[in-house]
Formats: sequence, structure tokens, C-alpha cells
Amino acid sequence: MKYEVTIGGGDGAGKGRLFVVEIDGDDVFLDGRRVVARLDSLPETPIRYLEVDGRTESLAMAHDGHGWRVQVRGRVRAVGVVDERTRRLRELAGGEAKSGRSGVVKAPMPGMILRLQVERGQRIKVGVGLVVLEAMKMENEIRAPQDGVVTQIYVEAGSVVEKGAPLVELGPSS
Amino acid sequence: MKRVLIANRGEIAVRVIRACREEGIESVAVYSEADRRSPHVAAADMAVEIGPPPAAESYLNIERVLSAARRTEADAVHPGYGFLAERADFAEAVEAAGLTFVGPPPSAIRAMGEKTAARRRMEESGVSVVPGTTSPVAGPKEAAVVAAEIGYPVLLKAVAGGGGKGMRRADSERELQGSFQQATSEAMKAFGNGDIYVERFIEHTRHVEIQVLADTHGTTVHFGERECSIQRRHQKLIEEAPSPAVGPELRELMGATAVRAARAVGYVGAGTVEFLLEPGESGNFYFLEMNTRIQVEHPVTEMVYGVDLVRQQLRIAAGAPIEADGRSLEPKGHAIECRITSEDPFNDFLPDTGTIQYLNVPSGPGVRWDGGIAVGDDIGLYYDPLLAKLIVWGETRAAAIGRMRRALDELVIVGVATSQPFHRLVLEHEPFTNGSYDIGYLEQHGDALLAAADDAGELERIAVAAALAEHQRMRIASPQRIGAGDGRVAGSAWLRAARLDGRR
Repeated sequence: MKYEVTIGGGDGAGKGRLFVVEIDGDDVFLDGRRVVARLDSLPETPIRYLEVDGRTESLAMAHDGHGWRVQVRGRVRAVGVVDERTRRLRELAGGEAKSGRSGVVKAPMPGMILRLQVERGQRIKVGVGLVVLEAMKMENEIRAPQDGVVTQIYVEAGSVVEKGAPLVELGPSS
Repeated sequence: MKRVLIANRGEIAVRVIRACREEGIESVAVYSEADRRSPHVAAADMAVEIGPPPAAESYLNIERVLSAARRTEADAVHPGYGFLAERADFAEAVEAAGLTFVGPPPSAIRAMGEKTAARRRMEESGVSVVPGTTSPVAGPKEAAVVAAEIGYPVLLKAVAGGGGKGMRRADSERELQGSFQQATSEAMKAFGNGDIYVERFIEHTRHVEIQVLADTHGTTVHFGERECSIQRRHQKLIEEAPSPAVGPELRELMGATAVRAARAVGYVGAGTVEFLLEPGESGNFYFLEMNTRIQVEHPVTEMVYGVDLVRQQLRIAAGAPIEADGRSLEPKGHAIECRITSEDPFNDFLPDTGTIQYLNVPSGPGVRWDGGIAVGDDIGLYYDPLLAKLIVWGETRAAAIGRMRRALDELVIVGVATSQPFHRLVLEHEPFTNGSYDIGYLEQHGDALLAAADDAGELERIAVAAALAEHQRMRIASPQRIGAGDGRVAGSAWLRAARLDGRR
């Protein structure tokens, strides 16, 4: 079976790296190159022992319903794995609608909105503070990730938000 | 002193309980509803629930803490750091209840707690302070006038401050307005006092602090310095002792100044005098503030001076004299501490939440783990994100760095993103390894450091691991899928296991 593996950063939609891993019985091919690899689990834990070409490593792995979260030396990476068959099926079905770059700025962590620093209709530059979110008694300024116009504000001062809650929508600047 | 109540949680509560055990003193933990199963509760001899999760209704509630002390017949209270540790009214209430406060007299807390008054007092006793105001400013307008006089950049600081809260930098008059508002409102929330004063922000300084210890018999000694310049938003991340920028002469001078500062306020117990050290050979240093409690980073001092500061606190509170022969002490070897917090360095250090699913604590020669977490703990947003401190000792600074890298590689915390990978990167980074860094380190190097973190070989191995794990997962899942139309296989765990075994 061939798998397409995409390694992203953390939660961000940053540039991912794609690998093709083929598993055929005991044979494993990484981007066409044969490697000797095995993965064992430590029972009742997320810990896996990986051996690739004689090099051993321990990782923590968990499947969150969408993909894998792989942790090595404290760094957690989101890793998407799609087998070839599933990918083809998806392509045949017309693929999922590509949700282009969303203009909605979301809460990066749970907290309380202290202040709004922009108004609806306001034209803003990248880096401008949009809202101030308080978490753990620290004030965190959430800044605009791009130039644009504020088309929607979803919160008000005093709102308590969960991680990922929409805060402000930015439309194109022209 | 037979029974000490620890008015705190997390790693510092565990640390104090350990010291009590070693001193043969019983310990009483207090905990909020959120902390029922926390390690500090299990570690103590007795434990009392004191209220709901928000700190204001539990750990910050003086009446509930004192009532727990009465119920358990504790005869002393150790405040740890944070929460009530630097509240003079708490120390007074403890004493009024007939209990011993393990810390300085309320008058000393008050004298150092009001930062502008402390600055005035230090100036009077001949200790240099950072240029700025020695009284609060009336508002952003007055702050702008002061800033124009002393020159930008400036630091706006909470008069009641501490722990980097209510502190904002402003590089220009344009920035001052917003920074002032943020500092005021943060200070109001953290300390119930929004007063702000202005200090010049001196670039490329180092944060160097001196540990002092004073007993009730008039002896005050210092235990050298800690270097704490690796900070983010004035929150320390990595500390070491000794400082790469401090030699024996400067150590003696700073130590003597710190002792003078402590004596000026009638200090008793363990305390820390923080200084800014100018870059270069000048050796100029300025008083920043005195923290009238045990510090988070106290272990690095303990490692190089062979002293147990928390046990010393307990002995001093019981009236014992410090055993000092008058000779000044020299640090032996080198110690480094990394603060392991539930903050994700790859997500702008924002706090993460989750349940600890797995924990492997580093060990072996020269490694110390001061932790307050265990498997099953929910890491929420109610309290400080500090999970644990990883401390190492080595014969030399280079040896300590090598040991810290090794220890960080052994550490596994699953369930919440932590600062661990950030520390690992810093420990390889030249400005840290050569000791030349200053308080601008993170601002200057942080982004590049975190962006350059990808190692091609590591990504390849992760890709292989993920594919193998997915392959195994599909093999486990597929019999159930087949089972929907095939009664023989459905639900048979034995058959599934047999299939899995067949693939090994």
C-alpha cells in the first residue's frame, strides 16, 4: 500500500512537506528508496519505538480522528496520511471543496476578549492589533495576518471564547 | 514548628513539602477543586480543599487558607511564590492568627512591594537604580513627558508589579498610549492596583540577580548570582549560575550591594535582589527590585552552592541562626534550569491545554526534576503554565550544557504542548553556548531559531513512522469494516488478534 504523508508544522497551515511511503509486507520504501523500518508500541501508552535503517528513536503518536499527531523530543507535528486508494476515491468524487485561505481570524487559545481595537469597515494593514485576548492574566494582542478590510466582528468586550472561535473576518482590501 | 501549611500548588508546593519531610516537619497541602488529584496533594501529610478553581476563590483567599491552617492545627505557613507570597496583608494575617510566616516580616514585604518606594529607599542607601521615576505617573501624558526626558525606549511598570505582569515597553511616543493602557489594565487585574511608573529601557543589559539569606539574629549572607536573561515578555525561561558575565570581583560587589539592600528593609529569610548589568567591561549594575520570597529559579543556586534554600527558610523561620563562618562562598561548577511550561513555542508561546497522558522524567547523573505534574492531570488555564523545572549540574558550563541537552532529549510529556523543543534549540544556539546573550535574545533570535528547526532526516523518520502507524491502524480497523457484511468476523476479538499476529 502506498501512503502520501504530509508533515505540517504545529496547528498552523504552514508549508507542509510531502513524502510517499510504500509498505509492502515487511518492505518499506521512502520516496522510492528502500529502508529497513519497524514500529512497535509500548502498550497502554502513546509511545512508539521506531527503527529506521538501524537508527532507533522513541516517539509519541496519537490519531485525532483526522490525522496523526507525532511528537519527537517535545515537538508536536500534525501529520496527514492518506493511502493511495482513498486519495483516488476522493479525486473521483470531485475532491473536497478547496476552502481557500480563510479570512477569519480565530482565537489561538481560550480566554476573554478585553478590547476590540478595530471597527467594522475599517481598512487595516498586516500586523495591526485587532482584539486583545486575556488568558492566564496576560493580555495578548491578536494581530491581522494580512492587509484587508474588517468585514465582520464576531465578539465584543467581555466575550469568553474557546480556542478556534472566530474573532474577526477580513475581506480583501480593495 | 511541627506542621507547616503550604499555601500554594504545583511544583513549588511539592518542593516545600519535600523540604518539610527532610526537616522532619509535617506538611499540609491546600487545593482547589481543580487540583484534587494533583501531586502536591498526594505528597503532603494532610490536605484541605479550599474552594473552586479560580485562584481568587481558593489560593488567593486569605480567610480560606487560614481556616485550613486552623482546622489542621498547622503552626506555620509557607507561601511559595506567586499567589499570596508577596502580600504583606497575608503575612500579617498569618501572624495575627498566631502562626509563623515562613518569609520576611510584613514591613519588609511592603517596603519592597511598592516598587517606587523601594526605588527611593535604595537610592537613599546608595544603591544605583535604573533611571526613571521614583513615584507613580498620573497618566500617559505625564509618562510621555518623563519618557521624553529620559529617552526612549522606556519600560512602563506596575508599581505593585512582579512576574512580568503589568509591564510594557514603548519605543516611541506613538506607542506609549497603547502600552500605557495595556500595562494599567493588566496591573489592575493582577494586583488590584493600576499605578504605573516609568523606567528607561537599557538595551543589551543582562538580568542578574543575587540570592540572599538573612536570619533573625542579624546575619545576612549572599549566595552569588543567577543569570536570567533568556526571557520572553519579561518572563524568565532559562536561568543559570554562575553568570557567564560575572567574575569573582563583580560577584562580591553585587553580593555586598544586595546584602545592603536586604538590610535596609530589615529582611529575614530567603530573598532575591534583581539587577540589570550593563554590557561590556564597565561592570555597572542597577537595582531593579527585590523579590521577597523563594524564586522559581532557586535550584541553580542550590546546585552550585550546595545549599538547600527551602530548608534554610524553614530553619530561619523556626529561629535558627545561619551557619556561616564569615568567609565568602564560591560557586562550584555550573547549573542550568529550563522552565518547562505548557506554552507552545511553535504557536507564539500561547498556552496550551490538555491532559497529561504520558510522562517520562529525565534522570541520571547531575539531573534534577522539580515537577508538579503527573499522568492524568488536566492542564487548564486557571493557573500559571509552569509544569516543572529541569535543572542540571556540570563541572563546567560546557558540561552543564551537554547534560541539559541529554536531559531534554530524555524528557517526554504527552498531552500538552510544552516549551521543551524551544529549550533544546537554545541549548545548541551559539549566542547561548558562548554565553554572550542578553535580555534581547529572544526578540533578536527567537523567530529564526524556531523557523530553522526542521531536520530533514527527522522528517523522513516521522513520515515512515506515520505511514507504519496508519498501516497498522487500517489493519485493525478493516476486519470491523468487513464484519458489517460478514457475521463470522464481526465482534471476534480473537480473530482480529489472530489476523494482527499474522501480519507481524
